[in-house]
Order: sequence, then C-alpha cells, then structure tokens
Amino acid sequence: MKLKKMLALLLLLIASTGLIFAQGAAETTTQKGPTVVTFWSLFTGGDGEFFDAMIDEFNATHTDIQMKTDTVKFDSYYTKLTAALAAGTAPDLVVVHEANIRNYVPDQLLALDPYLEENNFPVDDFVSAPLEACKFDGQYYAIPLDVHPIIMYANTALLKQAGINDLPTNYEELIADAKAVQDKTGAMGIACDNTTAVYKAYTLTRLFFSMMYEQDGQMLSDDNMSAAFNNEYGVKALVALQDMVNKYEVTPQGLDYDSSVNAFKLGQAAFHFNGVWATGTFEKADNLDFVAVALPGLIGKPAAWGGSHTLAIPATEAKDPDHVKDILTCIDWITAHGEMWSLAGHIPTRTSVQESDAFKALPYRAGYASAAASTVAPPATDAWSEIYTTLSDKLEYAVAHNSNPQMALDDMEKTVNKIIMTY
Amino acid sequence: MIPGNKDSRDGYIFCIPFLLIYILFMVYPLINGFIISFFKYNILSTKKFIGLANYRTLFSDSKFYSSLWHTTQFVLITTPSLLILGFLMALFVNSKSPFKVAGESIFFIPYVFSMTVVSTLWAWLMQKNYGLFNHLLSTVGLNPVGWLIDSKWAIWSVSFATLWWTAGFNMILMSAAIRQIPTEIYNSSSIDGASYWQTVFKITMPLIKKTLSLCLILQVIASFNVFGQVFVMTGGGPYGSTRVLIQYIYENGFSYFKMGYSAAMSYILFALIMICSLILNKIGGNEDD
Repeated sequence: MKLKKMLALLLLLIASTGLIFAQGAAETTTQKGPTVVTFWSLFTGGDGEFFDAMIDEFNATHTDIQMKTDTVKFDSYYTKLTAALAAGTAPDLVVVHEANIRNYVPDQLLALDPYLEENNFPVDDFVSAPLEACKFDGQYYAIPLDVHPIIMYANTALLKQAGINDLPTNYEELIADAKAVQDKTGAMGIACDNTTAVYKAYTLTRLFFSMMYEQDGQMLSDDNMSAAFNNEYGVKALVALQDMVNKYEVTPQGLDYDSSVNAFKLGQAAFHFNGVWATGTFEKADNLDFVAVALPGLIGKPAAWGGSHTLAIPATEAKDPDHVKDILTCIDWITAHGEMWSLAGHIPTRTSVQESDAFKALPYRAGYASAAASTVAPPATDAWSEIYTTLSDKLEYAVAHNSNPQMALDDMEKTVNKIIMTY
Repeated sequence: MIPGNKDSRDGYIFCIPFLLIYILFMVYPLINGFIISFFKYNILSTKKFIGLANYRTLFSDSKFYSSLWHTTQFVLITTPSLLILGFLMALFVNSKSPFKVAGESIFFIPYVFSMTVVSTLWAWLMQKNYGLFNHLLSTVGLNPVGWLIDSKWAIWSVSFATLWWTAGFNMILMSAAIRQIPTEIYNSSSIDGASYWQTVFKITMPLIKKTLSLCLILQVIASFNVFGQVFVMTGGGPYGSTRVLIQYIYENGFSYFKMGYSAAMSYILFALIMICSLILNKIGGNEDD
C-alpha cells in the first residue's frame, strides 16, 4: 500500500514537471499581418509622452509595419539593456545615448553602413556633427535622433528692465549684462549650478568642456590616452567659471541644479545655462518671458557640450536583412518627423526638418536649432564616464573654494591620466 | 531513499525548494562575485584573468579610502544615535504615559516608507533655496543653511533623516525585549526605593542585554551598507565629500563597467563588516550561547 502511494506521488511529480516547460513552446504562428518592430526607449515623463505620440502616429500611418514596446524606466535602462544585449534578447530597435554607444561596439550593435547603402538611407540629410559622432572605427553604429546641447536661456523681461536689448555674445558682455540686471532689479545674474545636491553639478563640467573647444582646445589627446586640458585654454576656462561666483559675484555660492532651474523658472534670474531639455519646463511657467539661444562663444568660437539620443539596432538582427530594412524605415520616419520630437525641446538632426515650416512654427526651438552644428560630442573612450564624473567633483571643488587654477588643473590632469590607465 | 527515520527524511525533502532558491540566488552569486573579482570584466565581453590586480589597485586608490571613510563616518554617527533613540522610544512605549499607544505608531510609521520617498521628502525639506527648513529659519531672521550642500553639514543632515526613518525598528525590538521582563522585578525594586533611572540602568538594560547586542550588530551592518538615502539626498556631494563606499562600488560597476574592480571592493567591505560583527558579537557576550 505504501509503495503504491509512493509510486503515485512520483508519477504526479514527473507529470507536473511538464508544466514547467509548457510556457517554453516557441510561438511559431507566422505573422500574416504587419511586420512588428519591437523597440525599447529610455524616455520617461514629458519626453516619454512625446515619443509615444510619435510612435502612435507611425502606427496610424503604416499598415505594413507596426512598432511595439515595453518602455524600460530610465533609471535601470542601461542595466537591462546591457543584460539583454549580452543575452541576445534585446528588441529590434533601441534608443541609446551617443556617449554610451561605445560600450556596445563592435559586438553588440549592428554596423549599419552596408544596410544604409542598400536601402538608400538619406544619410546626407543629417547634420554632420551628430551623425559623425555615431561613427566608430569608420562605421556607423547608430543614427542620431536628436542633439541636446547646453544652451543659454535669458529672461527678456529682466533684461529689458535693466535696459538691455541685445543678448550677450561673449563672456565679458555676459558678466556686464548679468551685473546690470542684478544691480537694477535685484534678481540673480546667472543661474548656473555649481553644487551637487540631488543632481550632480554637471553644468560646470559642460561649460568647461564647451569653453575648451571654443578655444580649439581638447579635453583629451587625439588618442584619448592622456588629458589635454592642462594648458592656457584650461586655465582661462576654469578662471571664467570661478570668477562668475567669486570675483564678479553674478552667481551665488552653493547653488544646486534644482535651485538654479527654479530661480529661472520663477523669473528670479536673468541667465541660465542648461540642456535644451529644460525648454519644456520653462514653457509651462506662468509669466515667464524668455528666449533660448545657442550657447554663445564665451571665450572663443561657438562650441557646446552636447549629448545625443540615437537609434541603434542590436547585432542579432544581422541574421535578417529584410527585417533590418523595416527597422530602417522606422528610423527614417521618426527622424524625418523630428518636429514632433522637438516638442520635448531637443534639436532635430535632419536639415530638412530644421528648415520645415512645421519646425519653424514651434516656439523657442528654432531659436537654438543652429546649436546642432556646433555641438561637440564627448571623446570616444571607455574611460569618459569616470573622467566626466571625477572632473565634475574637482571643478565643483575648485569653484567652491576658489582654488589656485594651475594647481587645480595639475591635480585634474594627474587624476584623469591615472583613470585612463585603469581601462 | 534517504536513510534515517521518516521525520528527518521528510524534513530534508521539504527543505529542498527553499534551498534551491537560496543556492541559486544567494550562494551562487556570492561565489561567482568573488570569482569575478579576480578578472577584468565589463559584462559584454569575455572575462580576462588578472589575479590579485583589482585588490592591488584598490589598496592604492585614494577614492576607495575616502569612500570607506565616508561610510565609516556614517556608521559612527548613526549607530550610537539610533540605538539610544530606539531605546528611549522603547522606554516611552513601555511607560505609564497616556500617549504610549499613539507613540508606538508614530515612532514606527516612518520605517514603513520606502527609501526613495523618505530621501526625496527630506531632500526637499532641506533644500537650500526653496526648502521648508530654511524658509522657517528666514522667517525668524536667520540665514539659510546649506543642509545638504555644505560639506560641514551634509553627512549630519543625511544621518538625521536616517534617524527619523529607521529608529522605529530598534524601538520595536527593544520594546519586545522589555515587555518580557517580569513585572515582579520592577515591583520589588520600587519597594526597595529605586529611582526611575536606576531601574533603567541597573535592571532594564542588563536584562535586555542580548537584544541590545543584536540591535548593535544589525545596526552596524545596516549602516555599513548605506547607499540609497545618501545618493538621493546629496548625490555623493558636495564634490564627492559624502560619496559612500557602496556608491563608489555602484559607479564602478554600472557606470564605468569595471565589474571585477567593483566586485573586489564589495568583498573587502564584506570582510570588514564580517570582522566588525564578530568582534561585536564577542564583546556582546553572545559566545556563551
């Protein structure tokens, strides 16, 4: 009797193991309807809504291809993307920040050149700076969706009160205008964050970066193996940042990102430096008269730090060139409708879009579209993420303590070179 | 058939499902992580064996030491304060006060909130230009304080928020222990004329010694593992002066893709916490068990 019971239990256990594999049966139903292009986007909040609207419009206007997603929340996007690319389970199309493409080439993302040529992809319509930034070892690994450089926002009402009618075009004019507004209206001259709180004080690094390139300098050497900012250009850039706070006092000490954004939003600051993504926030503010323009060449020719959202295809797609054609159709359409994406504040990357009436009709955005051409991408090296974060800490310290610029740069150069060695 | 009597055989069989999950999600990653610490690994390409190089690097990495120091500062600030505050709350909750029932809920409710909620809330309360605390200071004519952006205050501000958030946990443990003390002991001590604080120090504390020791060890372990609230409230700032070791480990692993280095640092932290726990365990007199 006991033996029978044991046998019955054993049989039940064996039978139930089949349930574990029931889910595993591959769905072999051939899609007789539209081709599905799956994608992951890292956009949340306002950006996410605008992107979703674009996708909905694509799906509404196409019967042969449909785009589908499960949006991955931003804060764990790259962790999940990295895992999926490593496991070969990534979707057909992914949004990747230009600075991060480097981590996934050459094996995880598809080299696009042969497919672009085969499908007559309109490569020439793209602004060259952001497009070239997607090139690694001479091949394109992504197509830029937008450029989001650091730009200058100005409160026109405050400027008018101080009797200023033209925007500053260089550092001296900026300081003079900021001082004038401060003296006449009591508002903050420049809302430029210089302290890390909830958000890191990246603005300082972005401005330092921009000013280096304005003077035709570089952050790293051509081979990315050593720091190249410890020179007269670096000193000039660092001093410009330090003087804003310590010498001319047009920016308060201890200003963090949230404070700087709120100060400008509440109409309490004349100038503000931030990425184009802040346009959406300021648009919604009540009674804020402002303009947004490309960052002026503060101490040289115009050049601005910028990031870029790009569209890339995981390497696993190499097995199916027809599907790649469909994915490229999606990329073509999305970038060609850049004025929809511009609602999020970002600059479209296609000249045809920048010149279109639809784009020009958008408030504020046409004012800084020219920045796309002078946007500088960060150096293409694995070490950049750590260099960027470390420089942020050191620049923050140098500005807060008004350190001797040469000593500060010496220390930064030494640290950066040490970091590069660990990669 | 597993030999032995039926009870132990059935016992083993019932343990298997839990053991499977435990081994898969706890033991395996623990061992695998240790192995990874001997490699150069960026998750997307194959591992490269480099022996003890990661450990050598971290011993000469000034950022490792400064991060470890920031973590240690946090441990030194929060451990005594959380234990003392928890103990005082537990005393209150077991006193004759008419507010003791309400007090228990009020003291414990913060613990229920998630780290992100608590950190975001306190980050805004302590925000320099638009936060509530500085607003109150300015209404009485005082200057605003950079609670989270001044390197003098930042770690203390985060510790204070942590105090508010987790003191309730210690209170619950200690309160449960206090309730197990037989009331006869208190009765006889009050007959003998002991004052309130004499009772606390000479009777209550010695009798809940085991729980106090447990709370101490748990608190030290938890404090060494601090990351979330510091990261959200100060971002490791200003200029990296509150970057704790776990944040540095996280950045190395997930922002810089230096998985091997990151793993090596986490095992050094693990060893440190283990040593501290063993020492505290010995001091706490628990080795008699």
